[in-house]
Amino acid sequence: MRVGIVGAGFMGSTHAAGWTETGATLAGFIAETIQEAQPLAAQYQVKVYPDLEAMLPDVDVVDICSPTHLHASMVLKVAQAGKHIVCEKPLARTIEQGQQMIAACRKAGVKLFVAHVVRFFPEYALAKATVSQGKIGRLATIRLSRGSFRPKKPVGNWFLDEEKSGGLLLDLMIHDFDYARWLAGEVESVYAKKITTTGHSPSVDYGLVILKHRNEALSNVAGAWAYPPPTFRTGFEISGDGGMVEFDSQATAPIENLLQKARCDSPDVGLPSSPVTEDPYTTEIKEFYTALTEGCPVRVTAEDGLAALQISLAAIESARTGEAVQLTPLPEVKP
Amino acid sequence: MKIGIMSFAHLHAEAYIQNLRAVPGVEMIGLADDDSGRGQQFAHQFEARLFRSYEELLEAKPDGVVICSENNNHRSLVEMAAAAKVHVLCEKPLATTVEDAKAIVDACQKAGVLLMTAFPMRFSAPLMEVKARLDAGDLGQVYAFKSSNQGELPGKHRKWFVDKKLAGGGAIADHTVHLADIMRWYLNSEVVEVYAQGNQIFHTKEVEVETGGMVMLTFDNGVFASIDCSWSRPPYWPSWGGLSFEMITDRGAVLVDAFKQNLTVYSHDIQRPSWYYWGSDMNQGMVNDFVKAIRKDRQPKVTGTDGLKAVKVVAAAYESVRTGQPVKLQA
Repeated sequence: MRVGIVGAGFMGSTHAAGWTETGATLAGFIAETIQEAQPLAAQYQVKVYPDLEAMLPDVDVVDICSPTHLHASMVLKVAQAGKHIVCEKPLARTIEQGQQMIAACRKAGVKLFVAHVVRFFPEYALAKATVSQGKIGRLATIRLSRGSFRPKKPVGNWFLDEEKSGGLLLDLMIHDFDYARWLAGEVESVYAKKITTTGHSPSVDYGLVILKHRNEALSNVAGAWAYPPPTFRTGFEISGDGGMVEFDSQATAPIENLLQKARCDSPDVGLPSSPVTEDPYTTEIKEFYTALTEGCPVRVTAEDGLAALQISLAAIESARTGEAVQLTPLPEVKP
Repeated sequence: MKIGIMSFAHLHAEAYIQNLRAVPGVEMIGLADDDSGRGQQFAHQFEARLFRSYEELLEAKPDGVVICSENNNHRSLVEMAAAAKVHVLCEKPLATTVEDAKAIVDACQKAGVLLMTAFPMRFSAPLMEVKARLDAGDLGQVYAFKSSNQGELPGKHRKWFVDKKLAGGGAIADHTVHLADIMRWYLNSEVVEVYAQGNQIFHTKEVEVETGGMVMLTFDNGVFASIDCSWSRPPYWPSWGGLSFEMITDRGAVLVDAFKQNLTVYSHDIQRPSWYYWGSDMNQGMVNDFVKAIRKDRQPKVTGTDGLKAVKVVAAAYESVRTGQPVKLQA
């Protein structure tokens, strides 16, 4: 199996590392410019392709790690060529795009995987299993938080262009919308507040969202691009009528750094807070790989990606209008 | 590759059997146990073949065995395996006396089989990360450790753990070896002096061995390190115990808690918080390395000699408890 990767940013390089842990072979990379893809291509000694058309004949799978607004057109092209697809989250920028993508892949008979990696993090997977085993009874309230700094890009920071990325409520918070839905099922209504500052330094985005699930469970999701670099922290508190599951990435970090500021002759230390043997991104890519080679089921489907997108878009609408948004169940996508 | 398990006396066997089955290309051929009831129980629980004797298991020509007997039976089982030219992964502590530990190392050396001591902490993802940073020079030069490897009373799971003859001692024998081994690994230096005190205040009526212990090690390079090895965790502690340390260096300190990657779960059913560990499985890393060492005919990442060195530290600790004075060790 030969895999081509679209995108040479953080996600393209992370997925590439994951694919090397499978039986697949990397064919090459595409980036916006040939220069951007060259370092990764050199690292893996593979090709830089100028565009999808050039890559498609060489590959069986295309892994799309491009900016969100480009997912739809790329997926449609790849599906038409009869190749399988891994698509970074969010699945698409709009519901219509997402529906078209799923329909096109069904019609072409190719697999479409959406990379909602949070489901592959061991702490999130264990909490889901704990809830599923009934350890905390019937779910009542869920609190999920995820916080970092505004994403940086050397050039063309599409993350901050809400038309392209959907901003914080789509790009970051879709992780926890998907997780909330995985835990408690379909969402009935969404109410959201968000602040995005401009002109200040540092500028921040902060969003708070309340979801009501169809089974009456309530979720409170918080997202922040407001903390100083290199902060990245997540946490949850999942409560039912029989108990509670709690997690805080800071509180459970096994390594705490109390080193004095580095001397000029020693390197700056960035200790990872929670080392694990296998990167969750690798776990994710391996699961997609075995789904392709052996037909095993995956824990997250393209339809899940579409449903999470619907929640994010409702949150964006709610934050804009000040009204709660009722979700209508999405029709089953027909090829 | 075929691997069997000799004795299920140590509860870790319950993890290792699953770890063995998870390694591609490894056939877990079954187990033997001198306690036939115990053998039957675990053979049934894990749907594994029960050999009638250790001899019968070795006649099935495994490439390697994992030995999880009571500590004082390690020697006879290792010697049997070595005589059958079978590679050995032996539970810690390697033996209850220095003499037995030496005999174990010698037997494997003479037979030309690999001997790995089961020190799974060497395969802990957080501890490996700290080792890598230390070797890269990022953390500076180590001055001292304040460490603890505390647990609940292990007799709760297996009675022999608190039997002096079978286990070789109490908390000091059980919980000094992991940290002593990690520090030797981090420092590339040997222990030259051991001071230890013990008491029997926790669970005083239940057992005849020490349940509390405080140990101080001094290494050849001058580093000193305290180890709290006590079975001090109350029965309602959220987990079995843990292993953590503060490492003081010329750049400050690094705090490490190897078992911190947990969810906290409160369940009405048990009326107290529990920790559900989600970090990586270090036992799997250890078993993988044992298999890889056999396949590639190289030394495992933790050897019998590492096990012997740890046993020497324990013996010196008991000597110190007896005399009330620090005990010197040959580096």
